[in-house]
Amino acid sequence: MASTVLVLGSGPIRIGQGIEFDYSCVHCVWALQNLGMRAVIINNNPETVSTDFDTGDALYFEPVTLPDVLRVAQNEHADGVMVQFGGQTAINLAQPLFDAGVKIFGTSPESIARAEDREQFDALLESLGLARPRGRAVRSVEQALDVAAEVGYPVLIRPSFVLGGRAMEIVYDESQLRSFYRAAEEANKEQPVLVDKYMMGVEAEVDVISDGETTLVPGIMEHIERAGVHSGDSMAVYPPVSLSTEIQSQLVESACRLARALQVKGLMNIQYVIVDGKAYILEVNPRASRTVPYLSKVTGIPMVDLATRCAMGEKLKDLGYDAGLWTLDGKPAEPSKSFEPAYAGHIIPEADFVKRTAKIPAPQVYAVKGPVFSFQKLSRVEPSLGPEMKSTGEVLGIDRTYEAALYKAMIAAGIHLEKDGVVLITVRDEDKPIALEIARELHGKGRKILGTRGTAAFLNEAMVPCEAVAKISQGSPNLLDWVMEGKVAMMINSPSADKVAEEEAARIRRACIESGIPCVTSIDTARALAHAIEVFSDPSRSSCLTVQEYFAGAPVSS
Amino acid sequence: MKVFVIGSGPIVIGQAAEFDYAGSQACRALREEGCEVVLLNSNPATIMTDLGMADRLYIEPLNVEFCERIIARERPDALLPTLGGQTGLNLATQLADAGILEKYGVRTLGTPLSAIKMAEDRSSFRGLMREIKEPVPESWIIQTPDELQDLLDVAPYPCIIRPAYTLGGTGGGIANSREELWEIGNNGLKLSMRSQIMVERSLLGWKEVEYEVMRDSAGNCITICNMENLDPMGVHTGDSIVVAPSQTLSDVEYHMLRSASLRIIQSLGIEGGCNVQLAVNPDSFDYYVIEVNPRVSRSSALASKATGYPIARVAAKIALGKTLDEIENQVTGSTKACFEPALDYCVVKIPRWPFDKFTTGDRTLFTQMKATGEVMAIDRTFEDALMKAIRGLEVKTKDLRHTKFMGDPSEGIPPMPDDELKEMVRKPTDERLWALAEALRRDWGVDEVNRISRVDRWFLHKILGILEKEMSPSADPVSFKMVDTCAGEFESSTPYYYSTHELVGDQVAAPSHIC
Repeated sequence: MASTVLVLGSGPIRIGQGIEFDYSCVHCVWALQNLGMRAVIINNNPETVSTDFDTGDALYFEPVTLPDVLRVAQNEHADGVMVQFGGQTAINLAQPLFDAGVKIFGTSPESIARAEDREQFDALLESLGLARPRGRAVRSVEQALDVAAEVGYPVLIRPSFVLGGRAMEIVYDESQLRSFYRAAEEANKEQPVLVDKYMMGVEAEVDVISDGETTLVPGIMEHIERAGVHSGDSMAVYPPVSLSTEIQSQLVESACRLARALQVKGLMNIQYVIVDGKAYILEVNPRASRTVPYLSKVTGIPMVDLATRCAMGEKLKDLGYDAGLWTLDGKPAEPSKSFEPAYAGHIIPEADFVKRTAKIPAPQVYAVKGPVFSFQKLSRVEPSLGPEMKSTGEVLGIDRTYEAALYKAMIAAGIHLEKDGVVLITVRDEDKPIALEIARELHGKGRKILGTRGTAAFLNEAMVPCEAVAKISQGSPNLLDWVMEGKVAMMINSPSADKVAEEEAARIRRACIESGIPCVTSIDTARALAHAIEVFSDPSRSSCLTVQEYFAGAPVSS
Repeated sequence: MKVFVIGSGPIVIGQAAEFDYAGSQACRALREEGCEVVLLNSNPATIMTDLGMADRLYIEPLNVEFCERIIARERPDALLPTLGGQTGLNLATQLADAGILEKYGVRTLGTPLSAIKMAEDRSSFRGLMREIKEPVPESWIIQTPDELQDLLDVAPYPCIIRPAYTLGGTGGGIANSREELWEIGNNGLKLSMRSQIMVERSLLGWKEVEYEVMRDSAGNCITICNMENLDPMGVHTGDSIVVAPSQTLSDVEYHMLRSASLRIIQSLGIEGGCNVQLAVNPDSFDYYVIEVNPRVSRSSALASKATGYPIARVAAKIALGKTLDEIENQVTGSTKACFEPALDYCVVKIPRWPFDKFTTGDRTLFTQMKATGEVMAIDRTFEDALMKAIRGLEVKTKDLRHTKFMGDPSEGIPPMPDDELKEMVRKPTDERLWALAEALRRDWGVDEVNRISRVDRWFLHKILGILEKEMSPSADPVSFKMVDTCAGEFESSTPYYYSTHELVGDQVAAPSHIC
């Protein structure tokens, strides 16, 4: 008699829990069916593939809540449930389902709690000797102030167990901490508030598949925006473009050790920030993450299929996978079974990373993920990027050069730059050195640059022509007029700590959104744009190939 | 035959996962019929961009330039434009207008582009409706600020502004005055791809009803289902609470609107799925045709799930020239796709809005969609389906009680004063359902709440009924029933279930355990 496994869906699409989780649920169902099992779906989102009646062996169109899941599990005499593919909705039910006597396939509820509960997680990292930004879980504003004093400002303050970085803020002083504490506390009343040292650096992210012994890292993604922008709103590139072999070794080593310590059976996502050559762990999600579909497609590793098999008790070694980092070879792939990679590649063993002898080949192809926002539909919503996630969707740009992949991700996400378009630059002081590099690139490609008087003076002094435009408070014609009259093709604006400047900037950002003008609010995104400017000027520098041609080195037909 | 399919790109408000569902179904249906599928979509999070879904998969930006590069190297025989949402449809139109389809000898499958233009261009659509004697509200097509200026004196206020060729009604709105018409109208002109807006008489307060209809190349037409918005006219369908099938229409009204919908797709010459939106006067038999979506849409995904009828799959087969009587109904396995589904249950959809994250956002609901997603619930009664849908939203509120309106003595939050509550009942927002419930809880009476909100008395009576049982929690569901597309008329085997309080369920259990 075939086993029956109940797969929990991710419910309605919301910011922070999108279509990516439906992708993982559907693949889990297919993997279970390949294993000869009966896969039953519970979900209540009518828009999705998972609720297509011919996806699973049975479909229960029901809310994904504890009583509903229990009733379906009972009706189906299910052997157990799969909670790691339906986002936070599903993983949050692991412990209550377990307590009700339901078997949880994959990573145990105990391990899930060790990864999600701050105190347990800190103890685990300590025992493994893995670094994370200093900080603690607190239950009062006084405790929060103590932690901040101890680790030093700026600190990152956020509620625990919430989705998409809700009510998360970077605070620079005591008064800000006091004012944001309440919002963080309100967002999840039962749970403590987390206060951590805010570390500025490059962020990286991995999704790993583990059977509790062997851990496969399908790929490392490097974020283009530095820490402080929610991972869901960051552009990310696979494979990394600026991470040294030493850093990548630290990432693979720590990911494998964490997965073993947590006895992960299935997927886990880890986010890092890199400061002074050292990787610090920011966050661990003991489940399929938002990046699983994208990473599956660009690495060719059937991540959900393997994770499902691990959750059901199979061993990666028996499936032909060793511990380590998967790397593409750029050679044509062999025809494969469902659990074999779609593209040719090899695994660089974990041991090589531990011994620091790993050789990582130069990338043949780049894949850049870009976020997509819906600000035009939401009046009075502030469009600048921060620790709270705001994007509703994503696009992927693939090409043989990093520049072309960046270009594609940007234009696919709606960041256009017309050939003779004027670029408006207005950035905070600490971003001015990078703004200068960007302006120089743009000017070099014949773009006209506008700036506030401060920015213009700074650029002109460095021999980059920039026309000065008045701020709103300085009378007309000002920045807002330029934007409203459609004379600006793009705005680069980084939010400022100065309250008056920031209020003006917010009005101009909103005006850009209303007028359909691309508005780049992170200096790092702008730098990436400048990097890709050659391709913006001459799109024929980009390729147009099938995914298999890019990654599997399949013969390119003309 | 090599077929080029264009997906809908990234998830944005107004264009979500429904096009992954439709696109995946279409790819499968095309390959089932022996076509080689060339797929373009820039969204990597989808099932449709899986390596195995298409024969040739392109994850490249969705614009004319990349489409042309793909067409030039793949030389497809045909393009299927109606399954990638408005994005896919707009691209197909641009490719045709730029002469690229003609240059490479690519024909379009399914509904002809001329019919799509006819349905989407307000003035030609009105012309056609007049020809077949279907009523459309008086309206004006405006293409320049000067024309808008002239209209300010003659327009009936309130009036609705709808830009042509935009996603999810972006830039539309309702103007109560000359000033508002000037502002919203100018904004709409900027946002429209063709710099075209329509200004029309407002039908605020009328019932809004949709029919999902299909037509094949032989001219066979069927209704998949109809749906009624709980929110009266004035709220985008994507932001409305929707019920299927309609609950407040009389049999005469149901058939009057059904016939109108079928006449409309017949006259347009749709080959595939189509959505017809109608406004119905709650106090007479008057109705107006509001809009036609000549493609697979969010509503058709909802209708598919509500009935078990795979609209996108059947639409793809129709596009290849198959007729409804030739396509099998997969659910029963014994009937054909030309049988209209029958529902022996009630379906409720509630949108999921992002205002728990965007706390400063404007929560007012108008003609511009704001929801990021939705939940659907199936049950034997409207009351049970509504409560199940609320439970599934995963928001703080699990039933019709909302602290914002009722207050919470333990937290020191007072109940909302009557005058404020009245405004929340009148103005559509994401929280209005709970405001309606609170007003009924305060014994304002169904007639008064109907007068303020224009929500149909039937819905208000049902909500009142739920409130009366609020204090005594209802019995747990104890049985599961099947969605079989035919209300039990034929044998059916597809295991698609919903729970219900009713004691007698269908024979539902894992087959392995029955054996």
